[in-house]
Amino acid sequence: MKKLAIGLYVLLTLALMAWGYYQAIYVAPNDAMQGEIFRIIYYHVPSASVAFVFFAVSLIGSVGYLASRRDHAERAQRFDAWALSGAEVGVVFCTVVLTTGPIWGRRAWGIWWTWDARLTTTLVLWLIYMSYLLLRRFAAGPQVQTLAAVLGIFGALDVPIVYMSNRWWRTQHPAPVFGGAQGSGMDPSMVGALLWNMLAWFAWGVLILALRYRVERQHQKIAAAEAEAALNA
Amino acid sequence: MDQAAILDHQFRVAAYVITWVIQLGYLAWLGLKWRSQKRKAAR
Repeated sequence: MKKLAIGLYVLLTLALMAWGYYQAIYVAPNDAMQGEIFRIIYYHVPSASVAFVFFAVSLIGSVGYLASRRDHAERAQRFDAWALSGAEVGVVFCTVVLTTGPIWGRRAWGIWWTWDARLTTTLVLWLIYMSYLLLRRFAAGPQVQTLAAVLGIFGALDVPIVYMSNRWWRTQHPAPVFGGAQGSGMDPSMVGALLWNMLAWFAWGVLILALRYRVERQHQKIAAAEAEAALNA
Repeated sequence: MDQAAILDHQFRVAAYVITWVIQLGYLAWLGLKWRSQKRKAAR
C-alpha cells in the first residue's frame, strides 16, 4: 500500500513537471519587453520559493533538535535528520536560483552579476548553508549536531532578509512581482504557468526531501549500530 | 528570427538544462548514497 502511494506520488510529480514545462513553453506568451528570456521565471521563482520553505524545515528541525536533545534522544535524531535534509535540498534549489538568475541577468541587464541587495543576500544565504553542510560532512565529535543546529537557526535568519531585500533596497533586481507596490503583478496569461510550475517544483522538492530524510535516518541507524558494536567489542 | 531572439532562446534553454542537470545530478548522488547505505546495513 505504501509502495503504491509512493509510486502514485512519483507519477503525479512527473506529470506535473511535464505539464509545468508545457505551460511555460507553449501556453504562456513571450514577455512584451524581455521576449523569451522571461520564461526563466517559471524555473527561477519556484526554485527560490522551494528553497525558502526547505530552509524553514531546517529551522524547525534545528530548533526541535536543540529542544529535545537532552530528554528525547530518538525524537532529537528525527529532528536532526529533518534539519539536515531541509538544509541540503534547500541548497540544491538555492544553487538553481543562483545559476538561472545570472543567465537571465546577462540577457536582461547585460551583466552576469552585480552586488545588488537581493543577489548578495541570496549568495550569503547559500554560503551559510554550504558551511552548514561542510560542518556536517567534515567535523567530528559529539557537539557537531548541536553546532550545526545553531548554524541552521542563524542561516534561517537570512531568509526574511532575502525576501524583503528588494522591498527595502531598490537596486538592480526587479521589484517583487507578487505582493509588491501598487501596479505590481503579472499578466493573467502568465500567472497560470507560474502557479503550475510552483506546484510542480514543490512536488519534486518534497519527493527529494523525503528521500534525503530516509537516507539520513538510515545513516543514523547504521552509526548507532556501529557505536553499539564498538562498545560491546 | 533575429539575433536577439536566437540568443534569448539559447539562454533560456541553457537555464532550463542547468536546472535539470543540478536536480537530476543531486537525485543520482542521493540514489548512490542510498544504495551504498543499504549494502552497509545488510552487512
